[in-house]
Amino acid sequence: MAKNDDCVHILQGLLVFGNVVIGMCGIALTAECIYFVSNPHDLYPLLKATENSDIYAAAWIGIFVGLALFALSILGIIGIIKASRTLVLVYIILMLITFAFEMASCITAATHQDSLTPELFLKQMLERYQKSEPANNSDNEITKTWDELMFQNHCCGVLGPSDWQKYTSAFRRTHSDADYPWPRMCCVLNSQGLPINLDGCKLGVPGYYNSNGCYDAISGPVNTHAWGVAWFGFAILCWTFCVLLGTMFYWSRIEY
Amino acid sequence: EPHSCPRHTDTRTMLPLLLLLLPAAHGIARLGYTPVLTEEPPLGAQKTASTFVLDQPRCVFKDYGNADIWLVVALDGSRWSSAGQGACGGPCTPHQIPPHPHPLPAAESTFDNTARPGSNETAFQSFPDPVHAYMTLNATLVNYPCPKPAGDITVLRVGSETSCAQDERRPTCNGPLPGPGPYRVKFLALEGSVPVAETQWSMPITLTEAKSPNTISTTGSGHSAGMIAITTILSILFAILLAGLVAMLVFWSSDSCSGSSTFSKPESVTVRRYNTHHVYDQPAARL
Repeated sequence: MAKNDDCVHILQGLLVFGNVVIGMCGIALTAECIYFVSNPHDLYPLLKATENSDIYAAAWIGIFVGLALFALSILGIIGIIKASRTLVLVYIILMLITFAFEMASCITAATHQDSLTPELFLKQMLERYQKSEPANNSDNEITKTWDELMFQNHCCGVLGPSDWQKYTSAFRRTHSDADYPWPRMCCVLNSQGLPINLDGCKLGVPGYYNSNGCYDAISGPVNTHAWGVAWFGFAILCWTFCVLLGTMFYWSRIEY
Repeated sequence: EPHSCPRHTDTRTMLPLLLLLLPAAHGIARLGYTPVLTEEPPLGAQKTASTFVLDQPRCVFKDYGNADIWLVVALDGSRWSSAGQGACGGPCTPHQIPPHPHPLPAAESTFDNTARPGSNETAFQSFPDPVHAYMTLNATLVNYPCPKPAGDITVLRVGSETSCAQDERRPTCNGPLPGPGPYRVKFLALEGSVPVAETQWSMPITLTEAKSPNTISTTGSGHSAGMIAITTILSILFAILLAGLVAMLVFWSSDSCSGSSTFSKPESVTVRRYNTHHVYDQPAARL
């Protein structure tokens, strides 16, 4: 029986440790998701205009899942130390429900990240940048976001300035091709916001216009956001799986 | 007498020959230069939907210091000289079909070097129909100094003047080209109104044609390996946990497997008192 006691204590110790880790990860997940939800990055108007806000739904679920994980980890610690069958069973069932929600959040975040392709942003930019009759405020937001993006990152278009040549656009309807092969924001600007050499920019002379595309600058923050929700949640779930399996084994061995 | 007749014939045949040679003596020099699109430095807007960029004809018109050098831009009709539909390689879009019913002849065969710049026959505003070739970008040898200083970008942007594109008072306007072409260009030197030198016609220049953004497909990008990995692994883990829960509940409802090595609860652990100094079994031994 001494050996059995040792096994008991070791298993209890491991499970308590596992639950402590889950509790801390729950707090971390909540904090991270609150940060994402309350502090949208500058590219938020572009994401909002794609009318696919799954990544924010995933972050909201993450907030509540994190809190639930913290509360349940405390319940789990109490149940394991008291070796109460009822408590541990309740703990296991509630943890499974939380697991399901977090699983949904991770898969949603990963799927949404996949849908943010260069083609999606290209089509949105061509159809809405500098639209002459903006249908709603989001068109103005998109124009402002793109101007800011091209100015800060010294880039032009999604894949390059040739985007404005290969496709017709709302911009092209109001700006002639000869005067504006691409928007003025694609030119290298001086401190007053004017092109340093307008003819050089219109000709496409290297050094007077931005010749690379903005997709890298867009996908950076978006990917960080998605990976923070999806992959961190995945890691927590893998750990939770191990702890739950151990708890189930522990429960089956508690004297009734 | 029989000798006088051939002499008369000689002078009579000489005269037409002399008349034929006269225009050749004052004829147009055909220079070996071919206008080319600018390749050095590589330009992002070498060809756009309505403009293109040529190298300046430096060191080409060296002997014609008094001449005005004009650029002749012609619509290359050779593409359309054959039957209409076949030239497009399929159904023609409105961009491809010029807005006129008759196929256009090839540029080289129809352009008349004696055409005057700034006239109705060479006005930009009437290009491409009925004018098949217009003249623009007037310059003299002073504008094209030879040799070209190293490091300078010496280009001509055809189609850069948008302000005069509709202004009939400016027939030599360098306006934006009305369609994707193809176009052929050459330089022509005129002294007064007499053409004295010309370059070769360039290769056909076809401009870029813009497609509608509706042709961009945003669906069907497929799923990345990461998303598939997350979904698969999490589904398997969840399934194992559910199976474990079911096994637990089955285990609970069946009393038979209350195992030999159960963990006893802390409350049921009794503290054993070792009665080492109490002799309870002594009376049994005394009896």
